[in-house]
Order: sequence, then structure tokens, then C-alpha cells
Amino acid sequence: MSGSSKVIENAICTFCGCVCDDIELTVDSGGKYITQAKNACVLGKSWFLEHKVEDFPVALIDGKEASLEEAVEAAAQVFVNAKFPTIYGLSDTTCEAQKEAVAIADYLNGNIDTTTSVCHGPTGMAFQGVGESTASLGEIKNRADFVMYWGGNPAEAHPRHFERYAVNPKSHWLPNGKEDRTIAMVDIRPTQSSMIADIFLQIKPGSDFELLWAMRALVKGRAFDRSVEERTGISLDRLEALVQQMKDCQFGVLFFGMGLTMTRGRHFNAGALLQLVTDLNDFTHFVSLPTRGHGNVTGADNVVSWQTGYPFGVNFNRGYPRFNPGEFTTADVLGRGEADALCVIASDPGSNFSAKAIEHIKSIPVITLDPKPTVTSQHAKVAFTTATYGINVPGTVYRMDNVPLSLRPAFDSPFPSDEMVLRAIKERICELRGITSNHKPVAA
Amino acid sequence: MKLSLHTLPTVPLEAEVICPDKFIGNSLDAISAMTVMHGNQACSLADFFTLTDDGLETIEVDGDLSKVKLIGSEMTQGKIIIKGSVGAHLGALMTGGEILVTGNAEDWVGREISGGRIVIKGDAGHLVGSGVRGSDTGIQGGEIIIHGNAKNEVGNGMRRGLIVIGGNSGDFTGVNMKAGTIMVLGQLGQRPGASMVRGTIFSTQSAQLLPTFTYNTTYKPTFLKRYLIYIKKLGFTIDDAYLNGKYQSWSGDSLELNKGEILLFAE
Repeated sequence: MSGSSKVIENAICTFCGCVCDDIELTVDSGGKYITQAKNACVLGKSWFLEHKVEDFPVALIDGKEASLEEAVEAAAQVFVNAKFPTIYGLSDTTCEAQKEAVAIADYLNGNIDTTTSVCHGPTGMAFQGVGESTASLGEIKNRADFVMYWGGNPAEAHPRHFERYAVNPKSHWLPNGKEDRTIAMVDIRPTQSSMIADIFLQIKPGSDFELLWAMRALVKGRAFDRSVEERTGISLDRLEALVQQMKDCQFGVLFFGMGLTMTRGRHFNAGALLQLVTDLNDFTHFVSLPTRGHGNVTGADNVVSWQTGYPFGVNFNRGYPRFNPGEFTTADVLGRGEADALCVIASDPGSNFSAKAIEHIKSIPVITLDPKPTVTSQHAKVAFTTATYGINVPGTVYRMDNVPLSLRPAFDSPFPSDEMVLRAIKERICELRGITSNHKPVAA
Repeated sequence: MKLSLHTLPTVPLEAEVICPDKFIGNSLDAISAMTVMHGNQACSLADFFTLTDDGLETIEVDGDLSKVKLIGSEMTQGKIIIKGSVGAHLGALMTGGEILVTGNAEDWVGREISGGRIVIKGDAGHLVGSGVRGSDTGIQGGEIIIHGNAKNEVGNGMRRGLIVIGGNSGDFTGVNMKAGTIMVLGQLGQRPGASMVRGTIFSTQSAQLLPTFTYNTTYKPTFLKRYLIYIKKLGFTIDDAYLNGKYQSWSGDSLELNKGEILLFAE
């Protein structure tokens, strides 16, 4: 290794919601790529080691190379001429950029939504309806002696979740690590994660709600029908034993993933799980935590919440924020053909939304901000190439337990950050609309 | 008053001004100039509708209104007839009067109404007679009559009143219900009555219920015949077998008060 290689200690990986903050990055002597990512998992290693500064144009307008200034002007024109501009994505960028995006939606009286609406949006709705008993991953690491994962596969989706937070760590109260914990999993099929579980409930697909409802009845001592055995595939004896273990633990935690929130029942499934946790608090200390996917999707929820009062699916058409999943969430707005302009930040709805929504995307002006070309950017009126957060861009991200962390980027990028581009667009919109922005310029 | 849509909205049009309470006492010019929101743009009613004063208090609206939201919002009196399909939030917070839709309606028909009657001749979307997200109370009175099918969460948080679905209802019909009556002449979707406290859900078909519902008995509920005769007068076809038949009675949700009832046609 060259003597002039740079080492970044305690760098932060923004690949998944674990946001591991103990990565040691080695940057090559030319400062163009990362040669080593110590402590990173397989996903984190790919995230860091495969990132190169590529020779893309900083911006394209209608597929033709353009300067940043020209692209900012074109994007601002698209926005101010729209009656229902929609901003979407935001889960793979910094909180600082997310804040600028909310400001744009506010100034435009537009619509803003994040990828939360297609992953843990039902969880956000359930929080609103039921409430949340929660804890930081640090508290869980130190205290949780009963750990359950429902509808998720952290071994493959969050590979260091076991090692850093919930299964293996030793602590003052759990000196023997995994041996002091009971690990339970609920899923519809065996996974890499279920292999490490002490208890694995393989339930019939689509029966999560019924199982949660039966567990709630057991916890509360209420009447329920034995047909739940047939419906879920789990025997009553097993269920009773599990519930007893949950009631008897010192500190329990229920992690849940999209296997619960995106199956039939959605927000009611998430709500049932949160209600189970509430019920268990009559007997012991129990908390719940969604296992979030994208690196800063939790930050998106936080930023949109503190700026508008709601976590996602927010509409400003009438000058004040309104929240209504299904009405103002982007997949629905596009699916019904309602938006007349779309701005996508660090996401790719063109590759994963419904056919109807994708057809609509192709029929309206689209602005994209992404470090790489995407399917969506192929259809964009204005496409910006931006620097990658965490690797090139500093800022704030939120871990899945709502703990904010400051990024420690490895090397510079020739491309602007999402925040810089969005702020420039915002300021141009303010000029075009005659709005006096009270924004204070941030020092570079 | 007659309104005919002459320009299709390109984005959602919020037109809560289409309401007898707003029109009464106003001239044609004043009504034409009333503000509607076309996305983020404030426009006038006349930008989208041709208005004709026929001297009647009933408001008749023609055209494809599937992107027009909030018609009849906060209505207390009078009648609206919509010839065609209509957008979301029809009759939101209504306390009186009547709305008739000859086509289909989008989501949130009769959101949080406490009086009046809404009749949809076609299908309805999700959340018929429900509360807004974050509210635990849906319809508190009045009637919502859907002749076709309805999607999920019919009567979420319902506290009082009557909802009739002529076809099938979606999942979680009567979820979080406090009281009132939901009648589904077709098939109930999955998990009806989850978290219901009191109230009645009725269906002419069998249904798979949650484990927290327990079977009581099979009998002929006297009140049900009266309800069926009443909705027959509203234009539904009710087989004599349903009028005179026996029904399974189930109680739930045991996680709540267990005082809700689901009645399913037995024989």
C-alpha cells in the first residue's frame, strides 16, 4: 500500500439502515477510490469498494449535455410551471438535502413523498394509530434478552444487525452474548436468519395478522378460536409457550420488516404488532423497531416530520401540509395520472413502480438527481449527476433507531451534492416566484 | 343549478364549493367565480364548468368528475346529483342533505359524516364512511348506500349510522367500529370487524372471521328483517330467503369489549 494512502477511521456506511459507524476506509493515493473497507459487511464492502468517480456529464437536458447552471434553470422552470409537482425518493441522501427538498415542495405548494411509502409507510401509519414503544439499538444491545424478528431476513439484508446490535454482543447485563438471549424468528420460509434462531415459526403466507391477533389474545387472556392453528400453521401449544417466554423475559424487542408491512393487511399488520408490544408491557419491558432498508430512510421520515408534521405522503397544494397515504403517496399519485411534474432524488421509480405509474412518468417532465444513470433518468427532462453521500458528501443520516450520525466522507467528487443542487433550484424558484427566502447560505 | 364539466382537470381539482350551502343565496355570477383548487392553482368554478341556473336548489353535475374531489363537503341541506363518476372525499363531513352518484366514486366516500344520505349507484373505493388517518372515529350518523362493490376499510372507526354495500366489501370491513350497522349483501373481505367494540356487521355470505370472534347461536334476528325491508325500498333486490332466513351470530372482537356482532346468513 502506498505511504500516501489516506485512512478514514470510524467512517459510516450508508448502504442499509444499520448505518455502521465503525468502518475503517483506506483511500488510494490518488484519492479516487477506496481500496479497503475494514469491518464492513459484504454489502458495505460492495458499497465502498465499487464506488468510482465516473466520467458522467454533470447534467443532461433532454439527453444532451448541459452545464449545472443551465440544468438548474431548466429544473426550476419545470417546477414553477407545474400544478401538481411531486418530489419523491430522498432515502439515500443526507438530511440536509432532504430539508431542501421539503422547502421546494413548500414553496411550490407541491407534493412530497419518500420511499418510506413503499416500504415501512404502513409502519408510519401504525405509529400514528397505535403509538410506539421503542429503544435505541444501544439499549437493545445492552439489555434485550428476548429478540424476535418478524418478516425480515437481517442476515442478508442487514448483515451486521446480529453482530453489532441484537444477537451476539456481550454486555454488562448479557455477559455471554447470544447464550443469554432467546432469538425468535417469524417468517413464511426458512432463511439465512432463521438458521440462528432458537425459535422459528414458519407461518402460512398472509396469516401474520391472525397470528398476532391470537398472540394478543393469549397475552391478554381473552377468548379466541383454535382455528388459528389451521389458519397460521402454528400449534396452540407452541404459541402458548412462546407467549409465556415473551411475558417472562426481562427486556424484549420485536424487530419487523417488509415481510410484515408489505403483505396483505399492511398498516393493520404493523399496528397489530405494535399493539402486541403494548400488551406485553403489562408484564415486562418490551419494545419494537422496524428494520429500515435504505441508509437514510429514517432521516427522511425525521426531516419530513419535523418540517411538515407528517412522515411521508405530504401535500402542500393548499399552502399547508396535509397527510394522506393512498391519496398523496407517489405510487398512487402517478398510478392515477395526477402529477404533472416529478422530481426523483436518489431513487428509481421508473424501474419498480406499477406499469400505469411508469407510463405516466414517461408522459410528464421528470427531474432526477442520482450519482448513476437510472431507468428513471433515461426518461428525465433534466438529469443531474450528484456526488454520493457518505463516500463523497458529508452530512447527517439517521440510523434505523432514529439516532443521528455525522458522515465522514472518504474523498472528493467532481459532482455537486444533492443538497447543493436542490438549494440552487430552490433559490431559483424563489426568484421566479418573487419569494424572499430567509435561507442562510451554508459555508462550503 | 346545473353544472357541466367543459374542461377536464389535468391534475386533481378540489371543489368543495359544489355544495348547496355554498350556492344558496348567491347569484350565478358569484357561484361561477367561486374558487376551486386545480392542484396548486386557484381557479374559478367557471374555468371548468358551464353553469346554468334552472331555478332549482338541487345541484346537478355532469361529466367525468373522477379527478374532482370534495364535492358536497360539509353539506347540511339540499341535494346533489352527479351524473357520472366522482373523485375522492365525496360528502366529507356532511351533516345533512342527499348526494346521488350514478357512476362510481373514488376513495373516502362520506368521510366522517354525521347526517344525510349518500347513494352511489356504481362501485366505491377504499375507506367508505371512515375517519381520516389519525382519527379514531368515522361516520357518526347518516346513511351511505353503495349499490356496487366497495374496497377496503368500509366504516373504519364507525360510531353510528348505516352503511350498505350491495356487492362485495374489501378487507377490514368495520375495523375499529364503535357502533352502527354495516350491511354487505355480497362477500365480506378478509378480517371483518378487527378491533370492533360494538356495532353490527351483516353479510348474506359466509366469511372467515378472526380467531377473536366466537360463535353464539343461529337465529332469526327480528331487527334484521326490518333493515332488509328498508334497504329493499332503497332499490336493492333482497331475496325472500334472506328476509326470512336464519343467521349465525358471532361476537367479537374479544381483544376489545367483545360486544360487536357479525351476522352471517346460515339457511
